[in-house]
Amino acid sequence: MQSLRLVLILAVRSLLAHRAKSLIIGSLLFVGTFVVVLGNALLDSIEEVMRTTLTHSLAGDFQLQSKDAEDALALFGGGGLGTSDIGEIPHFEQVEAEIGKIDGVRYLVPMGVTNATVFGRNEIDRVLTELRDALRDGDTERVPRLVARARRIVVDLSKALDTAKAIADEESYRKNAEALTKVGDDAFWTAFEPGGDALSALDFLDSRVAPLASDGDLYYLRVFGTDPERFVEAFPRFEIKEGQMIPPGRPGFLFNHRTYEKLIKNRVARELDALVDEADDGNTIADDPLLQQRVRRLADQYRLVTFQLEPEDATALTSELKGLLGQDGTLEELVQAFLKVDDTNVRERTAWFYEHMGTRIALHVPKVGDSVTLRGFTQSGYLRAVEVPVWGTYDFEGLEDADISGASNLVDLVTFRELYGKMSDSAREELAGIRQEVGVKALSREDAEAALFGGGGDVEVAVADQGALDVDIGAVNVVGPFERTFPAEETRTGLVLDVAIVLEDPDREAALRPELERVADGLGLKVLDWKEASGTLGQMITVLRITLLTAVAIIFLVALIIVNNAMVMATMDRVPEIGTLRAIGTQRTTVLGLFLVETGVLGLVAGGVGGLAAVGVIVWLQSVGIPAPADELVLLFGGPRLFPTIGLNDIVFGLITITTVAVASTLYPATLAARVPPIVAMRGRE
Amino acid sequence: MPAIVEVRGAVKDYPLGKLKVRALEDVSLSIEKGEFTVIAGPSGSGKTTLLNLIGCVDVPTAGEVIVDGQATSRLSDRQLTKLRLHSIGFIFQSFNLVNVLDVYQNVELPLLLQGKLGAAERHQRVKALIERVGIGEHLHHRPNELSGGQRQRVAIARALVTRPALVLADEPTANLDSVTGASILDLMRELNEAEQTTFLFSTHDHAVMQRARRIVRMLDGKLAES
Ligand SMILES: Nc1ncnc2c1ncn2[C@@H]1O[C@H](COP(=O)(O)OP(=O)(O)OP(=O)(O)O)[C@@H](O)[C@H]1O
Ligand SMILES: [Mg+2]
Repeated sequence: MQSLRLVLILAVRSLLAHRAKSLIIGSLLFVGTFVVVLGNALLDSIEEVMRTTLTHSLAGDFQLQSKDAEDALALFGGGGLGTSDIGEIPHFEQVEAEIGKIDGVRYLVPMGVTNATVFGRNEIDRVLTELRDALRDGDTERVPRLVARARRIVVDLSKALDTAKAIADEESYRKNAEALTKVGDDAFWTAFEPGGDALSALDFLDSRVAPLASDGDLYYLRVFGTDPERFVEAFPRFEIKEGQMIPPGRPGFLFNHRTYEKLIKNRVARELDALVDEADDGNTIADDPLLQQRVRRLADQYRLVTFQLEPEDATALTSELKGLLGQDGTLEELVQAFLKVDDTNVRERTAWFYEHMGTRIALHVPKVGDSVTLRGFTQSGYLRAVEVPVWGTYDFEGLEDADISGASNLVDLVTFRELYGKMSDSAREELAGIRQEVGVKALSREDAEAALFGGGGDVEVAVADQGALDVDIGAVNVVGPFERTFPAEETRTGLVLDVAIVLEDPDREAALRPELERVADGLGLKVLDWKEASGTLGQMITVLRITLLTAVAIIFLVALIIVNNAMVMATMDRVPEIGTLRAIGTQRTTVLGLFLVETGVLGLVAGGVGGLAAVGVIVWLQSVGIPAPADELVLLFGGPRLFPTIGLNDIVFGLITITTVAVASTLYPATLAARVPPIVAMRGRE
Repeated sequence: MPAIVEVRGAVKDYPLGKLKVRALEDVSLSIEKGEFTVIAGPSGSGKTTLLNLIGCVDVPTAGEVIVDGQATSRLSDRQLTKLRLHSIGFIFQSFNLVNVLDVYQNVELPLLLQGKLGAAERHQRVKALIERVGIGEHLHHRPNELSGGQRQRVAIARALVTRPALVLADEPTANLDSVTGASILDLMRELNEAEQTTFLFSTHDHAVMQRARRIVRMLDGKLAES
């Protein structure tokens, strides 16, 4: 005990006596600890934040997946579009029965993911569709308005055709010019007046004129199926941004809000938003040729506004624009001039746009309240089209700006299964009945593809093959998409692709895993934790940890070498002193201990200060937050800013590591010191 | 009364390249309690070598060195260290104080290594001894703040603090001027007389030899006792 005290006194005294050496080694250990503690705290914070974000938004604490799956789940991206095989779980009810009874499991959320395309119809198609409906309903008030809109679009198409002259072959150019000349004549439009042959005029517009308009947008969407009711309960980060949640027992679609705003939104509105964002970031149009190009392209998009306007809105907007711009011209010219924004007016014009134009056109196509036709290929390769209502848009709180989650849109499980190609029993029965009543139109694959990619109007396609029952139900539906219902238990039984497990207490993750695995194994399922199930994102944490570890290992290796060298040199200097200590009765082991304690103490002190510095930085960052440097990192940061925290474990870990490194680097010099024989003390030191 | 040190036919060879240098040849010597003995002889005669064997920092090539009843050639490094700590006090030619410790701590050091005494007793003994060697007012000075004579007084206190059976000093006055050297020797002699501490030291200084009670003369590694 006394000799331990002595060793401590000697160690501290030696450290103080050799200040320069202690300072150099100390600062090295300080930096090492600082990096380790700070890095670990940041990573732990990221992991913790990510864990909360992911487990509260989509992943749950665990995911169940078929053991036969070729690919691991990648809930937050990673797998290619539709190419990964994540397997199937044929009977969700079995999972619910077996896994559900494990103590500590709070929710089981059935899930599945597939891909679909959705058309944002072009304007002429929209107008003609509405016109057809209005004619059918005998809506004498709407017909003339829609006719006026159609005429305005047609006039504009004639202009576009002239520019297309150069690239089109002569024959088709002649035919198209002919068609446009015909509809350019007032006489053509008299067909829509009472008593006229409105339907054949409409057919002409549909078949000869509409195809001349550039195609509507085709969107590729990742569609994610679940039990909406269960989903809302299990995932507190889920929030409805517009509209409402899909009601229980109803088919439905929710756009991811980011997809809705960044992809589906009217391109003019989107571009104006983007230009305001650029201005917010301090980028000026005047200095940036790329932005100037964007503004020019924006002005070319004027049709996205003008085509949608009702006649009286067009008139009103024309005069409003004249007032705003102080110039004369047609509506088209005025909108074009309006969209040529510059740094001085981009904000006002955007605000003006939303006030005067946004209210008169549909900003989103399709929009909340519409129904969309989701198309996709089933697992067996059949084309499927399902019409579902868009109930609203959603996002995950904190992940509003995250790119990866923006990829998933939500549908009810029944719709998912239809798209995916496995039907529920009730759908099968319903279909069988309808088949008898109506008979199913079977189409070749070519027709199906034409329907899928041709951008045609209202052709809903059903595909049947060799008498398989694999036929789309939406296509032959007799009730409107907003009226369809199905028994609520359909979302609780049958096929799903994966199941999210939400625990009562997330901290029991590790404790519950073996039991979950045992039961899952019996069901032919494997268990993935939220990190494993998240795809590239989950791996990102691991990659970051490896990066940190490598950096730390390098720092420590350098520290090890430097400390080792410095201590060897110090030992040389101290040979007479060590000899004296040995001569007067100090054991070798005590000498060894003396050197180890010396760097150990230095490690603790320097490490302690380094740790404190790291705590200081973290506390500071906690108050200001670290902004996510890119949208891709929002998910990693669990929001636009990361507010890191630091735990005692981070500091203790840092201290232990640094002290170990310090002591390890002194092992060799310490054995050298312990080997100094007592006889050296007897030699004179003249 | 048994001898504190028994040297019997000790031989010490040093390797020198392929050759051997015989530093001691068949040395036999006995030191008893309370002696105040000087080993004298010209440079290279083997005084330091003999003291090293007796001081248990080296072992003989042949023959036996028995210190406090233990034959050193049969002891491990650990046991030799223990023997040094408990039975021997060292006074070095160049003082060999621990520079990072102050006077008090230097003197206390062997007691802490022994770990036998409680704090109060230790404190008392260290203080008393420092007073006794006449450097009481330098208690908390570092060695480099002291003169050579003062340092050697600290070294004497350190050597005596454990009340060892034997105090060894290899040319304790070689690094001191003659006046200081004489006063150091007087101090050792006083301690020898007052406490019956056994002193064995080497020198080739005649002033030192005059103060000895017994002189052992060496020449070419052999004893020429008078
Ligand atoms: N470590 C050693 N290696 C080789 N030879 C040594 C060693 N130590 C001493 N010797 C030799 O042993 C002999 C005796 O040396 P020692 O130091 O004992 O003499 P000394 O009487 O103490 O001399 P001095 O009065 O100069 O101190 C000398 O010839 C010396 O060269
Ligand atoms: Mg000598």
